Amino acid sequence: MLFDIIIKSFWSGIAAIGFAILFNVPRRTLLAIFTLGALGGLIKFTAMKLDVGIVFSSFLGATVIGFIAIQMAHMRKSPPLVFSIPSVIPMVPGFFAYKMMLGLIALTNMENTDTYIQTLIETVNSGAKMMFVLISLGTGVAIPMLLTRKESIKKSQYNKKKKAVT
Amino acid sequence: MKTLKEDAQSVGNILIEVGALLMSSGANSNRIRVTLERMARGLGYGTELLITHRALMLTIVEKDHQHFFSRLKRTSPHGVNFSIVSGISHLSWNVLEQKWTVAQISEEIQRLKAIPHYPRLVVLALVGMAGAAFCNIFGGGYIEMSVAFVATVAGLFVRQEAMRVKFNPYLCVFFAAFTASFIAGLAELFQIGAQPDKAFATSVLFLVPGVPLINSVTDLLEGNIQNGMVRAISGLMIAFSIAIGLFSVRMILNF
Repeated sequence: MLFDIIIKSFWSGIAAIGFAILFNVPRRTLLAIFTLGALGGLIKFTAMKLDVGIVFSSFLGATVIGFIAIQMAHMRKSPPLVFSIPSVIPMVPGFFAYKMMLGLIALTNMENTDTYIQTLIETVNSGAKMMFVLISLGTGVAIPMLLTRKESIKKSQYNKKKKAVT
Repeated sequence: MKTLKEDAQSVGNILIEVGALLMSSGANSNRIRVTLERMARGLGYGTELLITHRALMLTIVEKDHQHFFSRLKRTSPHGVNFSIVSGISHLSWNVLEQKWTVAQISEEIQRLKAIPHYPRLVVLALVGMAGAAFCNIFGGGYIEMSVAFVATVAGLFVRQEAMRVKFNPYLCVFFAAFTASFIAGLAELFQIGAQPDKAFATSVLFLVPGVPLINSVTDLLEGNIQNGMVRAISGLMIAFSIAIGLFSVRMILNF
């Protein structure tokens, strides 16, 4: 079971790298993005195994990514979003979006009341999951910046030395 | 009265160019505002900004409030490029801390624009790996992962080609989704692998509009409600194009 989670986390990292390349990130950030993607996956899948639920699991994963992305931003000299966006994309609930769209189309030509209600329940469920996972990903990534209440990471507490320069 | 080194017009022109570049490279609204204000402060001006998805309006004011310069600029179509976002972040600090001049800024912008993308084969291969990775995450085996890899590579290739001949961006996504899911759908038709539906559902995930959707939530949280809504809708349009691609294939292959 643990092995399964680690394998999935590894592939989350690979997916993050794929998107990083698509978004043309600077080369020095690639390894950090792989690590962050895998770490986010590890946290999300572990939380889901512990029955936390997909929305809160994704939120946990994204929040950790958000915090570490700030540290990485100092180490690799790039803004945090360069690290956080490719890393959370493997958690984007594409499968639920697909199931919701599938359900919506199925509903357009269905007459039997019982199957209609069954499909409706599944569609609404997938759609709600998709929406809340997306919101939790966006919020999770933004939380570190909201908590430090600074406009730029360069002014945050992690970097007091440079603050003296300005 | 101290005279400024740079005249308002050239400062305004360069700042609005930086802002437009940031918007089309995938920065969120707050980052654009903070970056431009920082650069203007470094050059000795105050700024007021109106940021929208497809146009920027900038007014810069001299410190003595006697002269100002305003300009409206349309941003180019969006294509995510984090090398530019990262480079402009460095640039803005150089302007503030090392007092870069307008000439230096414009030189740096030309350099950033010229930074090459990753080689096409690398992009295709790694995004293909990402497609296979999604398939694994959603529980596909190695055969399904190979199908997802091939489908993703083909889909991305079609998207790149469609972008090159300047199709409507949503239509590009539709073509890509159609190609990818058609290949995965053929695998499902011939029952290749144990769970071919996993490959079918994950073959189009490389198209998910991650940047608009995540930036949308960030913008909404930071009070840029209009931009957040616009980004959400544009993300939904992309998702809708993907769905239409999938359903065309399901209708054609009839399952």
